[in-house]
Amino acid sequence: MPFLADNLFTVLMLFGAVVGLWLAMAQRRFQAKRLGVAIATFSLLGVILPFDTPGVGAVEHFQFWVCSIGALVGGVSMISSRDPVHGALWFAVATISVCGLFLMQAAPFLAAATVIVYAGAIIVTFLFVMMLAQQNGVSAYDRNPRGPTMAILMSAVVLVTMIAALHDFHGDSPMALADRAARAEEGEPTAPPEGSAAETPPKLGAMHTLGRSLFVDHLLAVELAGTLLLIATVGAILLAPRRATGTL
Amino acid sequence: MNHSHDAYLALGAILFVIGGLGFVTRRNLILMLLCTELMLHGVSLTLLAFGHIHGSSSGQAFTVFVLTVAACEAGIGLALVLSLYQRAKSLDVSLWSSLRDPGIDLPEEEFEELASSDDEAYQEFPALTTAGVRPTIDADAPLGGQTWPDEQDYGRPESFVYGPPGKSDSTQKTDY
Repeated sequence: MPFLADNLFTVLMLFGAVVGLWLAMAQRRFQAKRLGVAIATFSLLGVILPFDTPGVGAVEHFQFWVCSIGALVGGVSMISSRDPVHGALWFAVATISVCGLFLMQAAPFLAAATVIVYAGAIIVTFLFVMMLAQQNGVSAYDRNPRGPTMAILMSAVVLVTMIAALHDFHGDSPMALADRAARAEEGEPTAPPEGSAAETPPKLGAMHTLGRSLFVDHLLAVELAGTLLLIATVGAILLAPRRATGTL
Repeated sequence: MNHSHDAYLALGAILFVIGGLGFVTRRNLILMLLCTELMLHGVSLTLLAFGHIHGSSSGQAFTVFVLTVAACEAGIGLALVLSLYQRAKSLDVSLWSSLRDPGIDLPEEEFEELASSDDEAYQEFPALTTAGVRPTIDADAPLGGQTWPDEQDYGRPESFVYGPPGKSDSTQKTDY
């Protein structure tokens, strides 16, 4: 395995992540939850470390690492928390951190939409259902995860595969460079409409660009997504159980 | 746009794997759904990074669709979770591990039978799943007690008993 031999640091960090996740998720006897979460988070950060970190200045590096730590702590704590309500709140932490990363990737609309949809709607709905369904504390099936050791090992194998593939990948591959150059050459792709004399070239991340991409390139998909939302609404109303008021 | 985005790809992969790990190990139905949402976050990060690498905003458009599908999935999934909770009075997913098509025995019983039969010539052929059979529905299920109008149209065998005995001729309808 040339990858494993060449990247000893990554392999060590992956091993640390396995140990940390196992400490965080294993049975009660060996449980050291906070220590496990900390070890897993910093090991996973070490997995990211060999990659080229984005950003041009110290501020962007700082933002990236803060958001990464938030996402990793949120994710690891979510899957290892005994209380499902705490798990949902940790998921909110991970979501907000991921939204920060969206912002750094020139997607401000998506960051706002994700905060609104996830933190505003999905988390609240999940907490609502959880509090309806689980009114008597932490139950036994939340304390004991199902086969954590094998699951962690298999996840480590999957992660090694992905990370090895990403080590071979370079964002500045010739194809990507050619793509970027072509798009920059396009500049003003269409004739600017009358009235807007100083039409700026479409900039990645501007609402203008995203809207053009959505409603010009992917119009049929937008219509299909709307239909999907309608069908999901009808299906959720049909599937939701009906009971007398006050009971679930 | 001249900085690299490989770290975003790595973080997306890690978030995806963490979500998958949680989906496999957690036994709470709601937390399993939340873990799929974490996997979707990883996918969104990867889509955005690739879109940024190629200077195209299709990645952002795809992420909008991921968001849409996540909202639909949460709605339908929570309705299903509530429906399952109403039957089992628990959010434990292990209670549903024996959920299967009608006409099929539990696999453990088959293995025990195979182990106990010392006859060399004894051979058990695998049984195909009987497709298209209406599952037995409790009376308090969302569609419980509803009659199915087109029962004769599919040419099902007359001897097959649909549903639990005594329930097959119940014509009470839920009032919605």
